Amino acid sequence: MSTVVAQIEQQIAKLSSKAVKKNTGTIRAVADGVAKLDGLSDVMYNEMVQFPGGAIGIALNLEADEVGCVVLGDVSQLKEGDEVQTTGKLLSVPVGKALLGRVVDALGRPVDGKGPIDSKEFYPVEKIAPGIMVRKSVNQPLFTGIMAIDSMIPIGRGQRELIIGDRGTGKTTICIDTIINQARINKVGLASGDKGFRPVYSIYVAVGQKQSNVVRTINALEAAGALEYTVIVSAPAADNPANQYLAPFSGAAIGEWFMENGMDALIVYDDLSKHAVAYRQISLILKRPSGREAYPGDVFYLHSRLLERAARLDGKGSLTALPVIETQAGDVSAYIPTNVISITDGQIFLETDLFNQGIRPAVSVGLSVSRVGSSAQIKVTKQVGGKLKGELAQFRELAAFAQFGSDLDPKTKAQLDRGARIVELFKQPQLNPLAIEMQAAILWALQKNYFDSIDVKGIVTAANSWKDYLTSRKDALLTSIRTEAKLSDAIEAGLKAAADEWKGTFSK
Amino acid sequence: MRADKKTKALAKQLFKLSVVNGAVSPEQVAGVLGYIEKVAPRNSLGLLKLYRSAIVTELAKSHARVEHAGPLSDSALSLIASAMTKKYARPVSATAQANPKLLAGLRVRIGSDVYESTVSGQLTTLSNAV
Repeated sequence: MSTVVAQIEQQIAKLSSKAVKKNTGTIRAVADGVAKLDGLSDVMYNEMVQFPGGAIGIALNLEADEVGCVVLGDVSQLKEGDEVQTTGKLLSVPVGKALLGRVVDALGRPVDGKGPIDSKEFYPVEKIAPGIMVRKSVNQPLFTGIMAIDSMIPIGRGQRELIIGDRGTGKTTICIDTIINQARINKVGLASGDKGFRPVYSIYVAVGQKQSNVVRTINALEAAGALEYTVIVSAPAADNPANQYLAPFSGAAIGEWFMENGMDALIVYDDLSKHAVAYRQISLILKRPSGREAYPGDVFYLHSRLLERAARLDGKGSLTALPVIETQAGDVSAYIPTNVISITDGQIFLETDLFNQGIRPAVSVGLSVSRVGSSAQIKVTKQVGGKLKGELAQFRELAAFAQFGSDLDPKTKAQLDRGARIVELFKQPQLNPLAIEMQAAILWALQKNYFDSIDVKGIVTAANSWKDYLTSRKDALLTSIRTEAKLSDAIEAGLKAAADEWKGTFSK
Repeated sequence: MRADKKTKALAKQLFKLSVVNGAVSPEQVAGVLGYIEKVAPRNSLGLLKLYRSAIVTELAKSHARVEHAGPLSDSALSLIASAMTKKYARPVSATAQANPKLLAGLRVRIGSDVYESTVSGQLTTLSNAV
């Protein structure tokens, strides 16, 4: 009884007769989701502004006599002369583990129909990236589950690795595979009871995509059991440009919570080309001066301040970013691609020609690079895949001569044969990431020439057979590769015995 | 017609001329209007609109509009004016305006600031919080 009375009294105390100060303004004009406001003398840059009817805006242009504000909501109810007021708050989104398994919009509101999100903490959408002193070098691997990437273009926790390519070359597939692989690793790691295990939580930010594509992604993650470790921030093509502009920053804020609280997170920005287009639209409506390709002058800063928020912090966690850029006709020298290439710590370039030849994932080994290098690889991957990039580069160089096969010397022919086998081995179906121990076992078999006697066309079948053999009969060997993370003499002997046995059964 | 940069700059200059010791001077304003009529600069209409807007904004900073529900004595009004004069460090006048929609209390508007202590405002806050 007394508690109830106390609650009421508390509420009454809140409604004291003390005057409340508000800073107000009036709408001068509304057009294309942007409102021009008079007044608001105290408004801050990027501050949330309250419109009548519950709509929220962000003050983006502070001029001498007016304020330019993007409206995040229904503008149809707004009219000239309506009163608006400042909130004194920068735009924030809910953060925390309560968001895992949920689909939210750019403001962190649930859009999946699963009810409200019970989140107690909020992080500002715009935040200065961590400085130099708090950062730590990237040297812990983040496995994508894609053999071509993990062995040749390794990604580390806290790295920014760009995924770039034309439309329909498998950019999103690589990101989804990576998220699924994190979920698989999380499940295995958490089940093992290892106290030192650090799970990786994923954030997938869909910007300017078709709703049907977003639904497909959600279904794929759900089917693979990865949604429970993932937050999806959705600002589809039907959403207004302001939400599309904000969504990656909201995703970064959600990811930062994991990083600040000693956890590791992966964020996928799919894609930043559409993000730049949304920002261009807003900037043009706000009458900001336009530059190359009509993008505003600060489009580089837009992406650099976003991607700089990915980091590995000393004594805390990490945020790894996989931004996606869509090129037009393979042109990586366009404005936005070159900007993002220069910001990130490497890129995975996907080629349409390779994709059409059936080489999937269509990773162009020559143009792809990871500036973190082998420091983000475990020893076993270095041991079995250290020479692969060189061998493939030689293969590409010699491939032009492949048509004159009969005139080639035996050494060149052997190099071509080996290259062709590596290319075949790297073919991997989508939504099927491989565990790092399995990748190591396959690459070990390649290195020890177990695939040399098999016809190139049969390499995929042979690799699948080797995988099935290891999974069904040599689970302990795979576990020891995973736990030891290097090829010890005992493991190598075990692999040799297993490979000899498998080779016998496969040949038969 | 949208005002160009030159018109905006001229309006700003004329506005500065109209403010003497932090307050809008009626004599200076009359002088500015006389100048515009005599010289008739390009885009006079746009210039006058910008000039008017700047003067209105400036005047609003020196004038407190006190909305009230129920009676408000002259002494209370002058108390508000003197309090605002002290707070904003400039001479502020106050005028009263009855507004029964407030139910009870006062709302003082000065420039783009609003000080509210009304029952209707508190009810709105309560309904938003629930």
